Amino acid sequence: MRIRQALAILMLVAVAIAPAAAGAAPSRVPANVLVIGMNTSDSVSLDPAQAFEFTSVWVNYHLYDTLVDFSRDFARVVPRLASSWTASADLKTYTFTLRPSRFHSGAPVTADAVVFSIQRVFALKMAPSFIVTDFIKAPTDVVAAGPNRVRVTFNQAMPEMLMASVLANPVTGVVDPALVRRNSTPADPQGNKWLTDHDAGSGPYILMGWTRNLKIEMRAFDNYWRGRPKMGRIFLQDMPEATAQMLALQQGDIDVAMGLLPGQFKQVAAQPGFQVKQTPTFTLRYLTMNVGYEPFSKKEVRNAVKYALDYEAYKRIFEDTIDPGQTIVPANMFAHLKDRPYQRNIDRARALMREAGYERGFKAELMVPVDVPLPDVAAKMKEDLAQIGIEVDVKVLRNADILGVYRAQKHQLAIQRWGADYPDPDNLAKAFADFDSRVLAWRNQWDHPVKAKVKQAVQERDPARRAALYTEIQKTVLDEGPYAIFAYPLRLVAMRTSVKGLDPSPLYTTYDMSNVTKE
Amino acid sequence: MWAYIVRRLALASVAIFGVLVIVFVLSHVIPGDPVVAILGGQAREDIVESLRQRWGLDRPIHEQFIRFIGRLLQGDLGTSLATNRPVADDLRAFFPATIELATTAIVIGALAGLAVGIISAVAHGKWIDHLVRFLSLIGLSMPVFWLGLILLLLLYARLGLLPGPGQLDIFVTRPPSVTGLITVDSLLARDYAALRSALGHLVLPAVVLGSHALVGIARITRASMLEVLGQDYVKVARAKGLAERTVILRHALKNALLPIITVIGIYYGGLLEGAVLTETVFAWPGLGRYATNAMLSQDFAAIMGVTILIALIFSLANLAVDLAYGLLNPKIRYE
Repeated sequence: MRIRQALAILMLVAVAIAPAAAGAAPSRVPANVLVIGMNTSDSVSLDPAQAFEFTSVWVNYHLYDTLVDFSRDFARVVPRLASSWTASADLKTYTFTLRPSRFHSGAPVTADAVVFSIQRVFALKMAPSFIVTDFIKAPTDVVAAGPNRVRVTFNQAMPEMLMASVLANPVTGVVDPALVRRNSTPADPQGNKWLTDHDAGSGPYILMGWTRNLKIEMRAFDNYWRGRPKMGRIFLQDMPEATAQMLALQQGDIDVAMGLLPGQFKQVAAQPGFQVKQTPTFTLRYLTMNVGYEPFSKKEVRNAVKYALDYEAYKRIFEDTIDPGQTIVPANMFAHLKDRPYQRNIDRARALMREAGYERGFKAELMVPVDVPLPDVAAKMKEDLAQIGIEVDVKVLRNADILGVYRAQKHQLAIQRWGADYPDPDNLAKAFADFDSRVLAWRNQWDHPVKAKVKQAVQERDPARRAALYTEIQKTVLDEGPYAIFAYPLRLVAMRTSVKGLDPSPLYTTYDMSNVTKE
Repeated sequence: MWAYIVRRLALASVAIFGVLVIVFVLSHVIPGDPVVAILGGQAREDIVESLRQRWGLDRPIHEQFIRFIGRLLQGDLGTSLATNRPVADDLRAFFPATIELATTAIVIGALAGLAVGIISAVAHGKWIDHLVRFLSLIGLSMPVFWLGLILLLLLYARLGLLPGPGQLDIFVTRPPSVTGLITVDSLLARDYAALRSALGHLVLPAVVLGSHALVGIARITRASMLEVLGQDYVKVARAKGLAERTVILRHALKNALLPIITVIGIYYGGLLEGAVLTETVFAWPGLGRYATNAMLSQDFAAIMGVTILIALIFSLANLAVDLAYGLLNPKIRYE
C-alpha cells in the first residue's frame, strides 16, 4: 500500500512538473488593464531631467509630453505638445506653437512651463543633460515668445530629425512649474528629490505610485489632448527572474514579459495564445581595442582581429537574439551602411599580423562583463584569436569595474555595448569617431582625422550630402577603427495574443503604450 | 541583568563602530567608481566628474568618513545614489518585507526542524532516522534558487495552489502603512482581502527560505537530543515510569535546547540580512536585493546603512540568545 501511495505521489509530481503541452491559462488581468512583468530595479529617478535608465525613461515617455516626437518608423518628426513649428533659414532657431493641453494637476501647459523644464536640465546637469547641452548653448536660448509660443535657438544648424533628437527626448519632458516649485526646498530648488517618485507631467498616463522593487502603477489621463488612452491602468510589475516571468505570463497574471531568456522566448512563441515580437535595436555590441596598447596601435593588427573573429558563432551563442552588423550606424537608422566586410578568414588575419610585424603574436587581456552570455562569447574570442597568435587572458568582471578601466584608457581588449541616446547617426559618430567628444574614440585613444567629418556631418543640412558623409565615416571606422562590431542586439517581447499595438521599438525612449488595446 | 544588558549594548556599539570602519575602508579601496556604476557607460566624462564632486566622492577617504560619522551622529544616513532617496527611507521601505519573510521562515524552519530532529533522535538508527539524515543532506545541498523555481513551477504554475511572484496581488491595494509589515497592517486595517493575499504570497518564499534553516536546526536538534537522551537523568525519568512523551519533551528537550536556540538565533540573524536569491525568484522587495544592488553599484551611503542595520541585528540577536539561555537554564547568571 505504501509503495502504491508513493508511486501515486511521484506520478503526480511528474505530471505537475512536466512541460505544459497546452496553451495559455485564462488571463486574470481585466481587459482595460495592462500588466507587464520586467526587472524595474534599474530605475534611479523619474525626474525627467535625471532619468537615464531603460525603465525610468520608458515610464517618463508616458508621464511627460515633449514638444515633438518621432513617427513609429523614425522616418519623420511628428507633433506632440507643439502642434506646429517653423525654422529659421539657417535651421538654428525653431519656434513652436503649443496646442491647448493640461497638466495632470489641471493647470494649462504654457510656454513658460516648457522654458522652465528645459532650463532645469541645465541647472541640474544630470546624466542625460548632454542631449540638451550639446546642442543648446545656454538656458537663455530657450525663451517664451508668447503664452503658447516657444523659441529655441540651437548652437548649430539643426535638420528637423536632429532637432527632434533633442526635443523629443524624455529629458526635455515638460513639468508643471507651479507643482515643482511647491515641492522644492532651499537645499533642492529644482524639486529633484520630490520628482524622483512623483509626477508633474501632462502625458497620457498619470503616475499612481512607485513601490521600488515591487511595481510602478499608472492610470490613463482623462483629459489628455489626444484622448484618453485605451488601457485604463498600466502596471510594471517587478519580476527580476526570467522563469518567474514566464510562469506568470503562462498563468495569466501578466500580459507581457519583457525579460525572458532566448530559449524561453522560443518556448513561449511555440505555444498557442502567445506571441513574441522582435526588432533590431539602435544598439551595438563590440570588441574594443585600445590603440594605446602598442600592438593595437597598428591598423593591420586591429583588422587581423576583425578577420579572426567567428561572427556566426557569436550569433549562435546569443541564440539568434542578435543581428549581425559591423558598422557604427545600426540598421533602420538614417544613413545606415550595410557593409559586412569582415568574415572569418584566418589566412588573411595571419597575413595582416605578419605585415604588422606580429607574426609571433602577443598577449592581451580581454575584459568581459559577467552578463550571460558574454563570458561565453569571450571564451570563443579567446579561441579565435589564439589562431593568429594572440594569447588572450579573459577577465570576467562587473561592467562597472570594466567601465572604470575603460574610461581611464587602461584596457587592452574589452567587450562593450553602446545604445543610441537619440536616433540620429550623429550620436554614434560622435561616440565612435570623434576623439574630441571624449567618448569611445577617446577611451580607445583613437584620434583620427575622420573626426572633422563628424563635425561637418552634424552641420550638413542637405540629407543626401549628410548621408554621404556618414557613409564615409562608417567606412573609415570599419577600415581603421579600433572596434570589431559583432552584433546589433534584437529586442524581444513576449505577450498574450490578446495584446495589440505594443510593438518593440529600436530606441529605448519610445516604446509607446498609449495605443495598446486588449481583445 | 539590566547592568549586563547595558554593558552588552555598550560593547555592541563599539563592535558596530569597528564594523563601520572596516566596511567603509573596504568599500572605498576595492576597484570601481560608484558614479560610473550608477551612470553606466554612456555618461560623458564632464558629467561623471561633476557628479563625483557634487556627491563628495572626490574627497580623501578620511574626510568622507568624518563627514559620514558627523551626519550619522545627527541621525542622517545620507542619500542613496542608486535610488536618489534618503537611505533611512529605503531601509524603512525594504526592511519590513524582510522581517515578514525572515520571521515566517524561521518559524517554519524552527518548528519543523525541532520536530524532525526529535523524531530522528528518538528513532536513532532506524529507517526513519536514515531517511531524515538523507533528506537533510539533500536539503543542505539543494540550491535555494533551484528549490524556489521548482516550487513555483509545481505549486503556482501547475497545481495553482499558491500565488506567484510578488508580495501582494497586483490589484490588491496595500493597506495604509502603520508598521510597514503588510500582514500586520492589513490586520490593523481589517482588510482581510489584503491579508489573504499577503499570507498567500508569503508561503512559498518562506518555505524555501525556511528549508535551509529547517535542515540545520533538525541536525543540531538530533545531535543535541541524542546526547541528552543518553544522560542519567533521562534514564531515571524513564525508570520512574513517566510517559515517553513527557520524558522527551519535558526532560530531554528542555536540556537539549541551548545549542538549538543558538543555531535558531544565528539563522534568524542571517535571514534578516535578506536573501537575495529567494527575493529575486519571488520578486520580494526586501533588504537582500537592496543590499546587493548597493554593493554592485558601490552605493556607499546605502552600503553603510545596511551595514549598520545588519550589525545591530546581529548584536541584538546574540544578546537575545544569551538572555534566552538564562530563561532556559536557571543555573546561568548574568554578571
